[in-house]
Amino acid sequence: MEQSLLDVRNLHLYYATRKGVVKAVDDISLSLKRGETVAVVGESGCGKTSTARAIIRLLPRNVHLYRGSIILDGKNIMELDDERFRKDVRWKKISMVFQGAMNSLNPILKAGYQVAEPLMIHENMSKVEALKRAGEALRMVGIHESFIDRYPFELSGGMKQRVVIAMALITRPQIIILDEPTSALDVITQANIMNLLKKLKNELELSYIFITHDIALSSELADKVAVMYAGEIVEMADAETFYVKPSHPYAEKLMASVPTLRTDKQLDFIPGAPPSLIYPPPGCRFHPRCPYAFDKCMKERPTAVDLGSGHYVKCWLYA
Amino acid sequence: MAGSKKGFIKFVVKRVVTVYIIVMVAVYLTIIIANMGGYVDEIMKGQLMLQIRMQLKGNPEYSTLPPAELEKIAQGIYEEELKRRGLDQPFFIRSFVYMKDALTLDLGRALYMTSEGGSRLVKLIILERLPYTVMLFTTAMLINFTLHLVIGLYLSRRHGSKIDKLFIALAPTSIIPGWFYGIFLILIFAAYLRVLPYGGILDVPPPTDPIARTLNILEHMVLPLSSWIIAAFFLGCYGRRTFFLIFSTEDYVEAAKAKGVPSRRLTTQYILRPTLPPIITGFALSLIGSWSGAIITETVFNWPGLGLIAYQAIGAFDTPVILGFTVIYAYLLAATVVILDILYGLVDPRIKVMYGR
Repeated sequence: MEQSLLDVRNLHLYYATRKGVVKAVDDISLSLKRGETVAVVGESGCGKTSTARAIIRLLPRNVHLYRGSIILDGKNIMELDDERFRKDVRWKKISMVFQGAMNSLNPILKAGYQVAEPLMIHENMSKVEALKRAGEALRMVGIHESFIDRYPFELSGGMKQRVVIAMALITRPQIIILDEPTSALDVITQANIMNLLKKLKNELELSYIFITHDIALSSELADKVAVMYAGEIVEMADAETFYVKPSHPYAEKLMASVPTLRTDKQLDFIPGAPPSLIYPPPGCRFHPRCPYAFDKCMKERPTAVDLGSGHYVKCWLYA
Repeated sequence: MAGSKKGFIKFVVKRVVTVYIIVMVAVYLTIIIANMGGYVDEIMKGQLMLQIRMQLKGNPEYSTLPPAELEKIAQGIYEEELKRRGLDQPFFIRSFVYMKDALTLDLGRALYMTSEGGSRLVKLIILERLPYTVMLFTTAMLINFTLHLVIGLYLSRRHGSKIDKLFIALAPTSIIPGWFYGIFLILIFAAYLRVLPYGGILDVPPPTDPIARTLNILEHMVLPLSSWIIAAFFLGCYGRRTFFLIFSTEDYVEAAKAKGVPSRRLTTQYILRPTLPPIITGFALSLIGSWSGAIITETVFNWPGLGLIAYQAIGAFDTPVILGFTVIYAYLLAATVVILDILYGLVDPRIKVMYGR
C-alpha cells in the first residue's frame, strides 16, 4: 500500500469558554496520499475549520485540549515546538487558503509582495528574486505579472482569490488546506477557481484538504470524502463510492438537500440544527435528528465500522 | 505617474483652500462671540466716557467751568477718541477689520492684560507663555503616547493574561483628572516628604548657573508630569490594547501567521502598519491639544502656561487676547489637518489612490 503523506490520528481540539468546554474537534483521524484530495464536508459549526486550524496549528488563546498526532512525511509534527513548527511546517509543507480570501490580504502591502513574502521568510530569498517568482506564480493562476504592483483593493474578488492561491503555491508545499475557498464568490467565478484548483492539482501533484459546506462542490475535486458532524468524522469514503450512495444517515440527508436544475425534486432538509459542542447528545450525536434512530443510538456511541476498501461509517445501522 | 502627481498637487491645493475657509469661519465666529455680538463695544464706550469725565473732573483747569460746558468738552474728546479707536464704525464693519487683522496675525494690543515684561502686545503675552506650556504638556503627551502604544501592543499580544486583567481592572482610575492626582502628589512629595517643590517653574531666587537652572526646571516638572502620566496610564494602555486587539484578529493577520511570518514582523507589518492612519491622527490631535495647556493643572501647580492666560482673558473680556489664541490655534489645527492628509497618503496606499481622482 502506498504510504500516506499526511496521517492525522486521534486529533482533539477543545476550547475553554465561559459556558464550558467546546469539543470542536473530537478524536478525528484522516489520511491523505500525495496528489490526493480529501473533501471535508458538513454543516457550519461542526468543526471543519477547527480541524484545519488544528492541522496548521493556528490556535486561539482559549485552547483547552490539543492532542493527537499529525504525521507528515513520517514525522510527528505535533512534537515540534512553535518556532520549529513555524519554520519547518507552515507554508513549507502545508499552506492554507483561508475562508474569505477578500480579507486574507493585508490592505497596505502590494499583492506581489504578499505572494513573495513566504520565500523571503523561509528561503531567505532576495526581494527582487522573490518578486520575480511571485510574478511567475501569478501567471500560473491566470493573473498578469504586472499585477504584482497592485494593492489588494485594486483587485476584484476573484482576482484576490487567485492571488491568495498563488500565495499558497509559492513555496511549493505538499499540502494545501482550502477552507471554503469559493464561498464568498459568485457561481461563475467559483467555477473558474474550481477549474484552476483542478488544473494546479494535476500539474503540480498537490494534495488538498478541501473544506466546504457545499457537498455538490466537493464532488468537483474530491478523491475522498470525510463527513463531519458535531466534531467527529461520521463517514469516510472514496469519492466514487460516496457520491453514488452515502451510507451515514447524515450524509444521505446532506445529499438529498442538494438542489438540482429543472427537476421537480422536493428538497429535503434535516430538521433541527447541529448540536451544542459543549454538551453533545449522548450516544450517537446525530440521533436527535436521525430518521432511523433506535434505542441503541441514544445510549451508546457508535464506533467506526469498516465497510471495506477504506470506507468507514460511524453508525449503528451498519454494526 | 505624472498624472497622479498633478492630481496630488490639485488635491493639496483643494484641501488648503477648504481648510482656510473653515479657519476664516471659525475666527469670525470667535470675533462675534468674544465681542458678545458687539456688546463689548458698548462696555468699552461706557468705560471711555467714564474715564474722560473723571479726568476732566480731576483737572483743576476745568473746575470753574459750568457742567454743561464741561459735558460739551467731554463729548468732544469722546467723539475724537471714538474715531481714533475706530469705534465710530458699526460693529458689523469692524468685525471684518478684526478678522483681517487676526488672519494676518496682526494681533494688536490687549485691553487689560500685560506680559510679564509689562508689554500689552498680544503676541508677546502668548509667546512668553507658549514655551512653558510646550515644555510641560507636550512632554507629558509624548510620554503618554509612547507608553500607551508600547504597553497597549504588549497587552494585546497577551490579552486574557493576568497583567492584562490588571490593566482592565485599573482603567477606571483614569476617570479622575490629572490635577486631582496632582493635589495628592503635592501633599505627599512636597508637603510630607519635602523632596519636591510645591509648584512654579523655578526656585525663588532662581539659580544662575545654566545647568543648575535646567535641573531646577526639571525638578519642578516632575510632579505635574507624573500627575498627567498617572491619570492617563491605565485607560490609555487599555484603549490601545483594545484597538490593537481588534486589528490583530483581522483575517490577514491570521493568514500571515499561517504563512510563517515571524512574530516581530507580524506586529510591525500586519498589525501596526495598517493601523497607522488612526494612530497618527490621534497623535497629531493630542499634540495640538497639548499646546493649549490645561487651566486647572496650571493653577494647581502654579505653572505659568497658556491655559491660565486664556482663562483670565475670557474672564476679563480681553477680546484681543482671546482672539489671538483662537487664531493661532486655528492655524495650527488647519496646518495639522493638511499635513495629516498628505501623511495618510504616504502610509496608506488606499488613500493615495484617491488623489488621482
